Amino acid sequence: MTRSFIAKNPSVLWFLLALSVFSIAVTLLSEATGTGLISTSFVKTLGKTLCLCLIAIAMDVVWGYCGILSLGHFAFFGLGGYAIGMWLMYARTELIVVESLANAALPPTDKEVVDAIASQIFGVVGASEFPLIWSFAHSLTLQLAMVVLVPGLLALVFGWLAFRSRVTGVYLSILTQAMTLALSLYLFQNDSGLRGNNGLSGLQNIPGLDAVPQSVISIAFFWASAVALGVGYVLFAWVVSGKMGSVIRAIRDNESRVRFLGYHVESYKLFVFTLTAIVAAIAGALYYPQAGIINPAEIAPIASIYLAVWVAIGGRGRLYGAVIGAAFVSLLSSWFTGGSAPAVNLGFYTINWTDWWLVLLGVSFVAVTLFFPKGIGGLFDLIVLKPVADRQGDYGPDKGAWRKEEGEP
Amino acid sequence: MSTLLEVSGVSVTFDGFRAINNLSISIGQAELRAVIGPNGAGKTTFMDIITGKTKPDVGRVIWGPRSLSLLDMSESEIARQGIGRKFQKPTVFEAQTVRENLAMALKNPRGPFDVLFYRKSRATAARIDEIAEEIGLTDDLPRRAGDLSHGQKQWLEIGMLLAQDPQLLLVDEPAAGMTPAEREHTTALLVRAAQTRAVVVVEHDMEFVRRLNCKVTVLHEGSVLAEGSLDHVTKNQDVIDVYLGR
Repeated sequence: MTRSFIAKNPSVLWFLLALSVFSIAVTLLSEATGTGLISTSFVKTLGKTLCLCLIAIAMDVVWGYCGILSLGHFAFFGLGGYAIGMWLMYARTELIVVESLANAALPPTDKEVVDAIASQIFGVVGASEFPLIWSFAHSLTLQLAMVVLVPGLLALVFGWLAFRSRVTGVYLSILTQAMTLALSLYLFQNDSGLRGNNGLSGLQNIPGLDAVPQSVISIAFFWASAVALGVGYVLFAWVVSGKMGSVIRAIRDNESRVRFLGYHVESYKLFVFTLTAIVAAIAGALYYPQAGIINPAEIAPIASIYLAVWVAIGGRGRLYGAVIGAAFVSLLSSWFTGGSAPAVNLGFYTINWTDWWLVLLGVSFVAVTLFFPKGIGGLFDLIVLKPVADRQGDYGPDKGAWRKEEGEP
Repeated sequence: MSTLLEVSGVSVTFDGFRAINNLSISIGQAELRAVIGPNGAGKTTFMDIITGKTKPDVGRVIWGPRSLSLLDMSESEIARQGIGRKFQKPTVFEAQTVRENLAMALKNPRGPFDVLFYRKSRATAARIDEIAEEIGLTDDLPRRAGDLSHGQKQWLEIGMLLAQDPQLLLVDEPAAGMTPAEREHTTALLVRAAQTRAVVVVEHDMEFVRRLNCKVTVLHEGSVLAEGSLDHVTKNQDVIDVYLGR
């Protein structure tokens, strides 16, 4: 009856084990802390992949468990990235500015320093003053709070408006897509205060750590991403197990019935939507310092659609499925689009994977949806022995089937 | 007998069609009531109005000792007030076990954070066993609800109603698709439930209604045609004309 959380969810233990083995292996093979078999740029790719796995499990909870096909979760991911990027740019530019002004005849005033930072950052869009949204950029603590607060509030307000008017299904998907599109179009403008389509760059340079080589920074971020993924996995496994999971899955399967049981469905959806948005934002805040640059194209609707594709291919409704899908498809995608995949010569036509990868991905997505609805994660069902159906009641669901009393003893 | 639910002067129109027409019904604290009527008489719409699924154009629905109006409440608020509903088609959560279905219905705080930090207790487990016993599904607790037979699903849904511990049970065609033995079981269950709370049964099947042995309300074209014992209403000429005569 009161079995422990791990006993009821053995996949959590297996996942944490696999993640630890993987992280240690990468550490031992990296340039900074190991043999150097894995290049620093590939460590960064792996670290970024872990962040994508984290947003994928968030997507799985909101879609696979709660049935809300959100096509806007990359907006939260991007906002998390912008929030941390603002501090990274500000603090690094400040160091450079202070250094260059140190040689001036008169010591610079605070205002001069701030103005110099602003013209450095915004020169590219023809502005030289900090917009209001940069008010907290000088402080790491405040900006870290923004990582959680801004996407969290956006999700809360958006979700409240959408769920309260009982928008469901494909209409909700379109609405979330409109949200992310609107946000990305807004950010594309030069006067949005976030450098328009230039985005924020140089994020891989951590202020004050100029002396530390990128190989070390990359492994540190890799570990931070791994820990975040582990913690996120346990958090979501806890949320979707037990009674909360029961109610969430019930909402997915028959939301009006849940209402008649006395549950306020909208509050539950809002809870799941906001929680997953916050986790997506944290994933973004870890991703972009590894990517080095963030621009509005990152939160275009297509990114969120990819997210849904990863989760569908990996297997909806199981957290490890989402991780597998995100890792597998995104790594495969960078292999194909990076030009490392060998071209296939058909004699009359040569298939260049950089052009054909999207077609392959689309076909795989359709094939998985049609033929393997459980996705890659479904393969685990073949390994794990399922308990044999407990036939203690009637012999079948049909009316004509034997009742329990009629059966053999 | 004091009144638990008072529906007065309620009308609903769907695209010009008057589904409910100046309907007034009152249900007592511990009462078993059967609502019968031909197809399209407004039986299901009547339940929709009480449970908040449909908002009436005019009229009042007053609930309980504090005389609250149900019209201002959402479906989930009404359910929390103590009105439980069983649908015509059994709607249980098929992907989840019988135990999970019952646990979800069990009377407990319904807020997201209450549920998130909910811990199973000996008392709730005992209550689930008790309900399972009552609906004859003790052995089936670990089974997926989707694997149950049609009749068992009906019972599970009745069990979920009992778990909610409502003051008023609205039951839509509970005996549909059941074998004679299952019907008898269902009748006994409803009669027992009605000893401590109000039970309103919507039913087509006169035989089943006779076995319930309770006050009957006949609906026709969205309003009450006759009310009384089954024998009384079946002798009513209007009832014979619109319903039984055909």
